[in-house]
Amino acid sequence: MEQTDQLILDTAHRLFSELSGAEVVNGAELGEKPEQLRQAILECGLTLAWVPEEAGGVGGSLALGFNLIRMASSFALPVALADTLVANLLLARSGLEVSDRWAALAYDGGDLPVLVQGEVNGVVENASGAVESGFLVVPVIEKGEVRIATFVPSTIDMEHRESLAGEARTRVILRSAIPGQLSEPVNDMTEDGLRQFCALVRASQVAGALEKMGEVTVAYVKERSQFGRPLGKFQAIQHKVADIAGESALTTAAVEQAVRSLSSHSEAFHGDSVVFMAVATAKVVASEAAGKVCRDAHQAHGAMGFSFEYPLQQYSRRVWCWREEFGSEFYWSERLGMAVANELVAQGGDPAPGNAWDIVSR
Amino acid sequence: MDNVRFNFPAPEIDETVEALRMEVRQFLREEIQNGGFVPVTDCWCAGVDLEFSRKLGAKGWIGITWPRQYGGGEMSALHRYVITEELLAAGAPVHAHWIADRQSGPLILSTGTEAMKRNILPRIAAGDCFVALGLSEPESGSDLASVRTRARKVDGGWEITGTKLWSSGAQHCQYMTVLARTGDWDPDKRHEGLTQFLVPLDSHGVSVRGIRDMSGVEHFNESHFDRVMVPDDAVLGQVGEGWKQITSELALERSGPERFLSTFVSVERAIQQAAPSMQGRQAVVLGGILARIRALRAMSQGVAALIGEGCSPDVEAALVKDLGTRLEQDVIERLREFWPIVLKQGYGDELQYLMSDSLLRQPSFTLRGGTNEVLKGIIARGIGLR
Ligand SMILES: Cc1cc2nc3c(=O)[nH]c(=O)nc-3n(C[C@H](O)[C@H](O)[C@H](O)COP(=O)(O)OP(=O)(O)OC[C@H]3O[C@@H](n4cnc5c(N)ncnc54)[C@H](O)[C@@H]3O)c2cc1C
Repeated sequence: MEQTDQLILDTAHRLFSELSGAEVVNGAELGEKPEQLRQAILECGLTLAWVPEEAGGVGGSLALGFNLIRMASSFALPVALADTLVANLLLARSGLEVSDRWAALAYDGGDLPVLVQGEVNGVVENASGAVESGFLVVPVIEKGEVRIATFVPSTIDMEHRESLAGEARTRVILRSAIPGQLSEPVNDMTEDGLRQFCALVRASQVAGALEKMGEVTVAYVKERSQFGRPLGKFQAIQHKVADIAGESALTTAAVEQAVRSLSSHSEAFHGDSVVFMAVATAKVVASEAAGKVCRDAHQAHGAMGFSFEYPLQQYSRRVWCWREEFGSEFYWSERLGMAVANELVAQGGDPAPGNAWDIVSR
Repeated sequence: MDNVRFNFPAPEIDETVEALRMEVRQFLREEIQNGGFVPVTDCWCAGVDLEFSRKLGAKGWIGITWPRQYGGGEMSALHRYVITEELLAAGAPVHAHWIADRQSGPLILSTGTEAMKRNILPRIAAGDCFVALGLSEPESGSDLASVRTRARKVDGGWEITGTKLWSSGAQHCQYMTVLARTGDWDPDKRHEGLTQFLVPLDSHGVSVRGIRDMSGVEHFNESHFDRVMVPDDAVLGQVGEGWKQITSELALERSGPERFLSTFVSVERAIQQAAPSMQGRQAVVLGGILARIRALRAMSQGVAALIGEGCSPDVEAALVKDLGTRLEQDVIERLREFWPIVLKQGYGDELQYLMSDSLLRQPSFTLRGGTNEVLKGIIARGIGLR
């Protein structure tokens, strides 16, 4: 990792440790906006990690941004930093001006709103982030080409809803809506490339949260005693903790590999077949792991983990949500299976040993 | 707490590694086409073909990381990784030399005498000499430190008496590494006083008897050692240091591709068979299997990279084995949805053959080389719970 990357991550870690935490996260859900945290993140320029220096950003690598996202989710950060990072990257890539406010990403992996003669029509079911206070970044499609549009919230219809974790998921309804800004078609950006990128963002968030759930669980079973010994001394509990560690480590390995694959590809939103395979792998494993880790971590915590005050629920509710977004394990498994099958069929000829291995081992 | 956070660095795959992969792949395709071998499931434990092992030896693909003076190729661990994963993915009959290439050769290299290295390693590398593992006994399985086989110091060497059980492939092997008690049993210091010996299986007093496993193969063995004399230099490493040696040996053998690819041939065949009509639920199941295999591969290669960097990722390696061996079993359970398994053999249907054989061998995956319960104990200790 580059030295500047590490510096930024260290700064972020310090900032999150000071200004976020279990109470801030629960408070945010109950209506106390974490203004100090939001402000500090903007001031440090964290939302601009992926924006090139010439566009006024930090110019960080893809790996930096994904590491930042993982870290933020290991704090269950009550602000949509990940989505704003993506929104700002989209603005920069499309040549639109990047703002130093919070940008909300109005994209959920569903079909893109359609642009016809300067007007946008479509519904984004689950736009994330602070839609009300910033502005909306909306990828739209026109004749198969992706463009980026921005909207001021007051000019469009929105229904405010909350995710399982109490985070904003806004239904954005665009009816003959006229964008504030509209980019040219973005080179090397495809609808599926966008979906893949965002799926990897969610997989990274799951990875960060699962690591934290492992830590929280280990700490709890060491501290809590029953029958005269710490819970962690019981083999049944040890095995649950080992399972959590395994699922978490597997998710991390898959996410890191996908980030490397994406980084070695010149265009992050292109949707290349090798990147597709890596992203599908990461999201399948992350989404599967989310359910398993939640079950084991909650079981090991007893009733305490079921309480609102204890922070475990901040992570479990988030990963339950993230595992579905931008495609669940079922969605990406099906696509992966179909992709391999289609390539095998396209190769023609009789089945020959090693053909499938050749594809999956790339 | 840092010890529940894991990182898996990228393996350094240069063009020599990829070139080797292509060479191995080409060779395996030709062998299959020429009838050199028929792909089998769990090939590293069930596929014995001495002729094939010699062919690999002639290619330089056994002991490829060892020094040239001992018959090796002085290549990187990643070169070996690529060879082994290609062999496993193809279901090649590699059982005869597998343990010697993976474990006993490196053990001899680090603890053996110069004479052992000169005499034995080149023969292993040539695919001519095989080594069995003599760890488990009738009364010692998971609790390995309780072994009762004894080695008694006598004039000019050691006298070994005891029984080793479950030694894979010993009937084809020239040697066995035997873990024996050389010091007094002290319940408070159970890991002390153990020593490993390299015992020629044609020594006077050794008898090896094959044991048929539930899949019908005579794969493991019961070996008796009745006052078997070995010279002083049959000791591997230091007298009394046997426990340390095997635990470090085991750590390295836990995270290789044989811990998640044992049943891959079934997956390969299933996907090819299903491809033309693939849709919906079948794609979900097969794609899900592939995703998990790919993720385990990334993790396993990450562990290899960590070892390459000089770390000792014991916990990470145990995690790979625990997750990977369960996946090998799970794969067959998931494929059953589309291809029920009833018959003992394929009767002409290759996929049925691979699947039924996988199912019959599947209970062993989470036992051999230390059970998954024992692995979880190692993980828990690494995490600080024990
Ligand atoms: C195919 C195959 C090949 C093998 N090859 C070799 C070989 O080449 N050389 C060799 O030396 N051995 C070999 N083995 C033996 C293998 O190492 C042992 O099977 C293994 O170590 C377990 O020992 P055991 O079978 O005696 O089971 P046991 O130790 O009796 O265990 C039975 C069950 O109890 C559980 N258990 C035991 N102790 C604990 C504990 N403390 N906590 C929780 N659960 C526990 C185990 O996990 C297992 O589920 C092979 C085994 C197989 C199946």
